[in-house]
Amino acid sequence: MSVQKTFYKDRIYPLLFMFLITFFCILLTAGIHLATQDRANANELSFTRKAVLDAAGITYVNTTAGIEEAYLKRVEEADGYFTTSGSDGKRFIIPLEGPGLWGTISIMVGFEEDLQTFTGVAIVSQNETPGLGARIEEPWFTDQFRGKRPPFTLVEEGTATASNEVDAITGATRTSEYFRNLANQAADAAKRIVRGE
Amino acid sequence: MHDALLPLSVFFASIFTSNILLTNYLGTCSFLSVSKEMKTSLGLGVAVIFVMATTTPLNWLVYEYLLLPFGLEYLRFIVFIIVIAAFVQLTEMAIERYSEPLYQSLGIFLPLITVNCAILGVSLFMVIREYSFFTSFVFGLGSGIGWFVAIIAMAGIRVKLKNAKVVPALEGPGITLIIAGFMAMAFMGFSGMIAVS
Amino acid sequence: MAKNKVRKTFLEPLGKNNPVFVQILGICSTLAVTNKLQNTMVMTLGVLFTTALSSWTISLMRNHIPSRIRMMVETMVIATFVIIVDIVLKAFYPEMWKQLGPYVGLIITNCIVMGRVEAFALQNKPMLSLVDGLASGLGYAYVLLAIAFVRELLGTGSLWGYRILGSWWTNWSIMIMPPGGFFVLAILIWIIRETIMKEASHA
Repeated sequence: MSVQKTFYKDRIYPLLFMFLITFFCILLTAGIHLATQDRANANELSFTRKAVLDAAGITYVNTTAGIEEAYLKRVEEADGYFTTSGSDGKRFIIPLEGPGLWGTISIMVGFEEDLQTFTGVAIVSQNETPGLGARIEEPWFTDQFRGKRPPFTLVEEGTATASNEVDAITGATRTSEYFRNLANQAADAAKRIVRGE
Repeated sequence: MHDALLPLSVFFASIFTSNILLTNYLGTCSFLSVSKEMKTSLGLGVAVIFVMATTTPLNWLVYEYLLLPFGLEYLRFIVFIIVIAAFVQLTEMAIERYSEPLYQSLGIFLPLITVNCAILGVSLFMVIREYSFFTSFVFGLGSGIGWFVAIIAMAGIRVKLKNAKVVPALEGPGITLIIAGFMAMAFMGFSGMIAVS
Repeated sequence: MAKNKVRKTFLEPLGKNNPVFVQILGICSTLAVTNKLQNTMVMTLGVLFTTALSSWTISLMRNHIPSRIRMMVETMVIATFVIIVDIVLKAFYPEMWKQLGPYVGLIITNCIVMGRVEAFALQNKPMLSLVDGLASGLGYAYVLLAIAFVRELLGTGSLWGYRILGSWWTNWSIMIMPPGGFFVLAILIWIIRETIMKEASHA
C-alpha cells in the first residue's frame, strides 16, 4: 500500500504537476499571442512600408496610421518594385538583399528616374552585431547616401567629403564593407528589375 | 559563392571577431566565477563546446520541423530551454553510467551549463539569423570554442594575477571585468583577419 | 512587525545585497544593450516584470512543487513571463523589439531571476516574494541604467537619443563597443565598493 503511495508521489505526481504547469503556461502565452497577433502583423507591414517611404525620401507622420496614409497616397506597387510620383519627379524603390557579416542584409533603395542617383536607403532587416554593425540602421548612416551616386567608397567615420564617399562605421569595418558592396550593386539591380536589362 | 562560404566565415567570426562572450556578453556569470582555476575552466569550457555544438543543430531541427509548421515560433524560448535541459540531463546520466573519469572531469559541470545564457543565446541567434542546419552546427561549435578560448585565456591570466597586488575594491569580479575588457579589445583586432569577398 | 519585514526585504537588494554589485549576477542579458539608455530601460523593465512575477508565482506554489522537477518548473514559469514580455514588445514597440533581438529571451537565463526564486521565493510568502522580486529588479535596473548613462553619453554625446554634448565632444567610441561595457561595469563596482560598501561595513 505504501509502495503504491510512494510510487504516486515520486513518479506520477511530478509528471502530473509538470504537465499541468506546462499546460497553463502555454495557454497563457498562446492567449496573449493570439490577442496581439493582428497588431504584430500590422507592425510588420508598417515596417516594410516605412522602409519604402524612407528610401523614396517621402516624409510622413511616424505612426502606423501616418505611414499607411502616406504609403497609400504616394506609393504604387509594380512587379517587384515600387514607384512614387510627385513634384520631384518619378522615383523607383527596389528591394535588395545581400550578405552581411552575420546574415542577410535586406534594404530598400530609392532612385531618381535616372536609376543612378540615390534618393535614400532604408534597412528592412539586418542581423549585424548590436552596437556595431547594427548601426547601419541609424539615420546618420543611411541619410548620407541621399543624392549620391554609386560606386561608393568608404572613408573613416566623419571624413567623407567627395560626392561618392561615405562614412564607414567605426568598429564595424566588415559590415560597412558588406553594405557598401550592396549599395554598389543597387543601380544594376534597379536597371534589371525595372527595365529588364 | 557567398552561401558556400557562410559556414566558414561564421565559424571564424564566432570565435574571433564576434566572440560570444567578449563581444556579445553571453555566459559572463560562470565565466567570472569559474575562471579562477585553470582546471575547472578547462572542464567547463569543454562541456560548453560539447553542449553548444549539439544543442544548436538540435534546436534547429525542433524549430524547423516542430515550431514553424504549426506557427508556434513564439514558444521557442520555452521549447529551446526544455531541449537544452533535457539534453544536458540525459548526457549527464549517460556519462555518469558509462565513464566515471569522464564524469569527474566533465559531467559535474553539465548542470551548471543549463543556466548558462550563452547556450540559449546561441540557439536564439541561430533563429534570428536564419541559418541552415549545417551553419547552425558550425555556429554552435564556433561559439563554444570562442567561449572556451576566452575562459582559458582568462584563467591563465588570473593565475598570474595571484602574485600581483590588486586594489582591494577591485578584487575578484572587478579586476576580472577589466581584464575581460582588454581581452575584448584585443579580439576586436581580429576583425581584419578574414577577407571573404 | 510585518511592515518592517517588507521594508527590509525591499531595501536589501537595493543596497547591501544588490544582485549586480555584490553577487555579480545577471549581467549577460543586459550588458549588451547598455550602449543605449533607451534599450536598457526597456530591458530592465522586462527583468523587473519577470523577476517580480516569477517570484510571486513560484512562491504561491512553493509548497506543492515536487523537488525533483523544481528547476524545470521554475524555468517554465520564468520563460512564460519572458515570452509575454517579448510578445508585448513585438506588438506595441516593434522598433525596440527589433533592436533588442534575442536579448529579451535571454532574461530567462538571467541568473538574477532564477537566483531570487531559489533563494527567496521558495521559502517566503507570495507578497513578500513579490516585493523581493521587485526590489531585485530595481537594484538591477539602476546599476544598468548607470552604466548605460555613462556609455551612451561618452560614446555618442547623447542621451536617450537626444544630443547633449556639443560638437566639441569627440565620441569615445570604445564606450559603445563591447570592451566599454566591461570597463564601465568594473569601474562602477570599484566606486561602489570603495564608498558605499566600506561605509556599510563600518556602520
